[in-house]
Amino acid sequence: MSTRALMRKLEDFEGPRLVPLGGNLVGASFFLMKLLPARFMLERAVDQGLLRPGRTICESSSGTFGLALAMLAVQHGYRLLLVSDWALDRHLHRRLVELGAQVAIVDRPAAGGGLQQARLDRLQIYVSDIAGSYWPSQYDNPDNPFSYAKVAEQLIDRLGRVDCLIGPVGSGGSMSGTSRYLRTLFPDLHAIGVDTPGSVLFGQPSGKLNLSGLGGNILPRNVDHRQFDEVHWVTPAEAFHATHELHRKHGLFMGPTSGAAYRVAHWWSLNHPGKTVVVMFPDEGHRYVETVYDQEWLKAAAGWGDRPAESPIAVSSPRSPMTRWSRVLWKRRALDEVLSGSGDGDDTDLAT
Amino acid sequence: MPLRAGYAEAIGHHGELVQGLFEDDDAQLRRALVSLPCRQLRSKVRFIANDSGQVLVLPASREKARRAAQLTLNAFGRLADGGNLAIESNIPLGRGMGSSTADVLASILAVLNWLKIDVASDEIMRLAVNAETACDSTLFRQQAVLFAHRDGMVLEAFRRPLPPIDFISIDTTPGVTVDTLEFAPARYDQLEIETFRPLRSLLRTAIKNGDAAMLGRVATASARINERFLPKPRLTDIETIGDRFGAVGVQVAHSGTVVGLMFDGRDPRASANIARAAKALQRSDFEPTIFRH
Repeated sequence: MSTRALMRKLEDFEGPRLVPLGGNLVGASFFLMKLLPARFMLERAVDQGLLRPGRTICESSSGTFGLALAMLAVQHGYRLLLVSDWALDRHLHRRLVELGAQVAIVDRPAAGGGLQQARLDRLQIYVSDIAGSYWPSQYDNPDNPFSYAKVAEQLIDRLGRVDCLIGPVGSGGSMSGTSRYLRTLFPDLHAIGVDTPGSVLFGQPSGKLNLSGLGGNILPRNVDHRQFDEVHWVTPAEAFHATHELHRKHGLFMGPTSGAAYRVAHWWSLNHPGKTVVVMFPDEGHRYVETVYDQEWLKAAAGWGDRPAESPIAVSSPRSPMTRWSRVLWKRRALDEVLSGSGDGDDTDLAT
Repeated sequence: MPLRAGYAEAIGHHGELVQGLFEDDDAQLRRALVSLPCRQLRSKVRFIANDSGQVLVLPASREKARRAAQLTLNAFGRLADGGNLAIESNIPLGRGMGSSTADVLASILAVLNWLKIDVASDEIMRLAVNAETACDSTLFRQQAVLFAHRDGMVLEAFRRPLPPIDFISIDTTPGVTVDTLEFAPARYDQLEIETFRPLRSLLRTAIKNGDAAMLGRVATASARINERFLPKPRLTDIETIGDRFGAVGVQVAHSGTVVGLMFDGRDPRASANIARAAKALQRSDFEPTIFRH
């Protein structure tokens, strides 16, 4: 028996609550999904001697990963320095400060990689300046996807066999990790990643992102492209509509990445009756009260006035310009395989 | 005159359905397993008591069984109690089929039978682990358990017994024996350790629902993880034959040499499938033996 570092005080908040959404579609609704990878990464860092008592955790985040770290840091006596940007919700900002986090705001995008890169550049300075600091690096730390065995465990406990897993992709941790664990038992699991136009994660040319938490301008190492059977790109306006639908029809007050995933999952589930489908909803809607849940703000959002698409259009390449909900049959290929069009057999599934 | 003899039997197993590292209630990691019991394999032990204060065993090579009987007498008998253990077992040695544990358990139970006392199963497990440093879960017949075999402790008791599993036994290296206790415990990496979480939950679900097919998936996943530590030659060939004839999965002796091709004991087609799979295995130069639940 080993004795290992444990930071489990908030463990009951880590897992999803399962909500039936009609047919065989089940929502895995998280209070704050990032608590799980954050706790796991910190425990491992302590075990490996990378994080010592009372030292400083440094990370780049404009959202939920920062909040998760702040909650854990205050519970277990670490200092926390977060590098964020103007997109940080002001209420979340206040909450982070109340939790004792030091929040540095970056206001100018880097020449390449936008604000995300600018945050990382600033972070590098802090990490080298602060003695004994630890950077979890959620985008590249393999412990991020490794942590999701617990989600796979809970899904199996409640549902038994899972046929399809759908979720938004940001760091890549939750979808890559959960799919991988489920496939050790259900090799036929169909995994669908949800991204947004302008995000480089699945090969779109880099563009301005208006959907916090979905996709990115930097490709994280934790996106394991070979886990995905299918990838969808949902525009911000389509995601916002779906977020409201999720709230109005099912009472679930979630963030817009959840809405994007719900849009795809609802469509896929309708077309595959009898399949047990799980859709991941990573966080609640509180951070978006003044944006996605604000009618005035929405009026100014691009495409909000348009009627949202009922189904995706099939595109042949992830490089294609995407002005509306689009999808590519990914077939568990590496990114460069998809971009070069290799292994791209017949698209018979497109009819479904 | 008091009865001077005690008698007991214990069964062997065909390796494990799952073996790995699992969190206990305090979130600490413990090695644990679920054995696949095999009622046809038995160790039968007769204990003839005397006042010598020491225990002798036949065959004399079964030192762990002798130790187990001695420990049992030390714990529950009088100072002068001793006796002779006679062991009769049809469990193959060094294949990871629990021959040693069955001898140990039957010896403990035979002594207790002579002493005419009932002892809780966790007490028996502690004696067994003291006698041979590790144990298996064959003692638990009414209810399947995830058993910490080096701690002699139940990590999780499931709601029902294992569903009936018929299997074809294949010894992948008939000439080689593995000393279960000499064999260094697997050093699982982080991904493997975490993978045991979903395995455990499907194990729980499969037992609750009496679902042999899902149990087969758990066993197969555990067998594949074990390949890095004690590989079974031609395991994929066996799996391929199993897929052709409706096997629900493969399981292995994680510290032995045998592989079991598993079939759903409740499936009416199982008998025919097993016969055909056994023939196919023979054609591929395996030596299959069929065990019914």
